[in-house]
Amino acid sequence: MSKQGKVNHFGKLEMAFEPRRGYTRLVHVYQQPPLKASRELYEGQKPTATVFIMESSGGMVAGDRNEIDIKLAPDSQVRLKQQSALKIYPSHTGELCTQSIHVEMEENARLEWMPEVIIPFERAKFQVDTTIRMMASSTLIWGEILAPGREMRGEIFDFQSFRSQYKLYVEDSLIAFDSLHFKPEEMDFSSLGLLEKALYIGSLWIVSPNVRELNVRDLQELMHAESDTQASVTKLNDYAIHCRWLSKEQRTLHKEINRMFIHVSNLI
Amino acid sequence: MKQQSDASNNRSNTVDTLTDFSLLRLLQIHDSAFPIGSYTHSYGMETYIQEDLIRTKQQLIAFCKSYLFHNLVCGDALIIQDAFHAAKDRNEARLAELDELCGAIKLAKESRDASMNVGKQFVRTVAPLLDSPLVEQWKHKIDKEDVKGHYAVLYGIYSEALGVNVYHAVMTFMYASLSGLVQNAVRAVPFGQNTGVQALNELLVHVEEAAQKVMNLTIDDLSNNALGIELASMKHEFLFSRLFIS
Repeated sequence: MSKQGKVNHFGKLEMAFEPRRGYTRLVHVYQQPPLKASRELYEGQKPTATVFIMESSGGMVAGDRNEIDIKLAPDSQVRLKQQSALKIYPSHTGELCTQSIHVEMEENARLEWMPEVIIPFERAKFQVDTTIRMMASSTLIWGEILAPGREMRGEIFDFQSFRSQYKLYVEDSLIAFDSLHFKPEEMDFSSLGLLEKALYIGSLWIVSPNVRELNVRDLQELMHAESDTQASVTKLNDYAIHCRWLSKEQRTLHKEINRMFIHVSNLI
Repeated sequence: MKQQSDASNNRSNTVDTLTDFSLLRLLQIHDSAFPIGSYTHSYGMETYIQEDLIRTKQQLIAFCKSYLFHNLVCGDALIIQDAFHAAKDRNEARLAELDELCGAIKLAKESRDASMNVGKQFVRTVAPLLDSPLVEQWKHKIDKEDVKGHYAVLYGIYSEALGVNVYHAVMTFMYASLSGLVQNAVRAVPFGQNTGVQALNELLVHVEEAAQKVMNLTIDDLSNNALGIELASMKHEFLFSRLFIS
């Protein structure tokens, strides 16, 4: 574990959901700035609670820490959306910005995490740890997009370090451990086998008992990658699928990953 | 007084005595005739070949270096290192954790299956060669499906039982992995045998460097930054024609 100095901002957000009278309600919320959650929103008569996660500081600065804890009681249905991209500012002090996300899902719960972009600015140091624990009967659709920096400003892999550890447990078995550790000063991302021509990384995790009904070959064909994007899908086990995109262009990647997100969401 | 380089200092800290006999036993499991089926896997390389991205010796070396430094060093090699120490401590719970971790970090189904298939074939082949209760126990656990039987964990257990040191175990594993890839490229691109020999020869210095690097890392450094190779391994499942399993 990296030694942490003074924490400038310690954002904390705890959310617990459970079904009440036909709708999933946010029955417990604790929020410590700069993290904040919106109230639940519903589309028509649908029981799914849509909640926006907001980061009021506008971005994380060296030493900042965010902790997000999410609990879904049995049968809850939740869609979480980040209000905007997560921006990681330069680390003038050399300290890390850290974010941890813990999710616990009980029987038949359903969680959708819509992908937003993480943008590490030049000299940024960021570590994100995401741990999801779910039951075999619950459903998860989780998306992530990582940018190389503020591309329009010419910041491409100018950050100091980016570390992401994504752990997915189903019934206490670790079924996926996606661990990236990018140190641009020591790595040539354009090398064959790394990112090559791509700048953006997109991931989608789909876990559900209904995944058994999905045909990965059909999904692969659906990911008819644009010329500036490479994409593929793989099975983690009989009830879990992982999709990955490597793209030169953020707009194309966002469009593609959202298209797959909606497609899968309608199927499972 | 002439000082040793940092690299050689690192290595000298990690190398125990390697006897001729343990060296020979280590060589045997890396013989191309050793029947564990690793030659049937290309670990994503065939996708690159079919997409016409590996046509020259230099491209083959570039692919192998990425696989070595951004997949093996921070992946299977760390699992081997930790499994070796866990085997020394007879820590079966730790070995089971490593087996789970080894499967979880291999997101592409074909790479994950390859690791299990080669592992199972490896334990069947080596169990009769050595009187090792731990190897026997692990084989039994695999048969009972208590563990998946990933190759890197078994390799760590077996190399510890052979009496070799962890540095040589890691280094020869990496050498054998790259040698297998180069041989596959010789068949699939195709390259001449001489090109293959030259490519592997150029990679040797990197294998040594990579093994030294592993000695300074721990299991907390587990990661996979070779995303292009991982994606290629995922895409391999959907290729129209395939010479290799993955």
